[in-house]
Amino acid sequence: MSLSLFLSKMGTNFNYVVAITLFTIGLYAVVAKNNLIKKFIGLNIMETSCFLLYISMGAVKGGRAPIWTEGMKKTTLFVNPIPQALILTGIVVAVSTTSLALSLMIKIYEHCGTLDAEKLKRMETE
Amino acid sequence: MKRALVFFSLLLCFGIMLIAVVNMPPMGDPKSMMMTGPPGRAPIPRYLSEGRQEAGAENIITDIILNYRGYDTNGEVTVIFTALMAVLAVLNRERKNVSYCDIETSPVKRSVVVYTIVRIMLPFILLFSLYVILFGEVGPGGGFQGGTIIAAAAIIFILIFGYSQGMERFPTTWRMNFEGIAPLTFIAMGIIGLFLGRNYLTFMFPGFSHASNLLLARSMLMIIEIGIGAGGAFIFTSIFFAMQREDKS
Repeated sequence: MSLSLFLSKMGTNFNYVVAITLFTIGLYAVVAKNNLIKKFIGLNIMETSCFLLYISMGAVKGGRAPIWTEGMKKTTLFVNPIPQALILTGIVVAVSTTSLALSLMIKIYEHCGTLDAEKLKRMETE
Repeated sequence: MKRALVFFSLLLCFGIMLIAVVNMPPMGDPKSMMMTGPPGRAPIPRYLSEGRQEAGAENIITDIILNYRGYDTNGEVTVIFTALMAVLAVLNRERKNVSYCDIETSPVKRSVVVYTIVRIMLPFILLFSLYVILFGEVGPGGGFQGGTIIAAAAIIFILIFGYSQGMERFPTTWRMNFEGIAPLTFIAMGIIGLFLGRNYLTFMFPGFSHASNLLLARSMLMIIEIGIGAGGAFIFTSIFFAMQREDKS
């Protein structure tokens, strides 16, 4: 594949490229940061990038929002509603896991006085 | 050394994903999404063309969430309830005369501007959330979104007016009664189907005309939306209360 073809394909799939960029940023925060809260912010960024990827996959050029109003026919072009419904579920689950993780972090801080992963690991081995 | 390792592994990851993503079908192409053929020729999928007549709501996403994939949403509602229970298992519920919050004793005074604006805006935020919940069938919106807006309004109130004022407005004993309301409404509406000779979470019953069936399905969907909205609002407010407070030792 030539470079110009690659770049033009990147242009048409721009949303996907943004989504994987966000995913890599989140992965960086999870892997490289020591603070547990920063790690979890990274995980949330990764979740958001997955939502963006799915919503973009459901998009249809010139499609309308999937809501029936006056004057719509069976040939009207709609956006695919399945990814949107799926991602609504995903967002709610993401919020639930976030709240549970944050409450666990509150407890960890109360007991150990730190949220640094390295220090916590050292405490564990001692 | 560690930094370089992280950098190169992330770069490798990004490169693999980039190649995969670039070779995906072009974004926004109707053919690539199994939606339709060229616009105006092939028929659109059944849930789009018939959803209004089969499930009862103009908003196809509401149809899919509450009717076609009702079991899934039933589980999802249980997930947020379970999240609340897990948070309470870790942090305990706030207690009278024991729990307090740092914000009240902080030397930083709250700004008059913030205080006034929040007091003026709160009723409108609540009105908007009611609109979002009740119009989930005919427009963008739904139970989860509206419930989250109500919870956000409650959280703004607690942050600005303080923990003790918040406890006065939303007492623990009062909130406890309504936290399970979202899964309970869902199950109650699902069981109606069993009594009328159909499966769990069916909204179309034998022995009714199509028009009255549609009206019945629509009102049942609306009751579920209201239940989800109320339950979500109570659950998120309770989670916030549990996280924000500290206990006197």
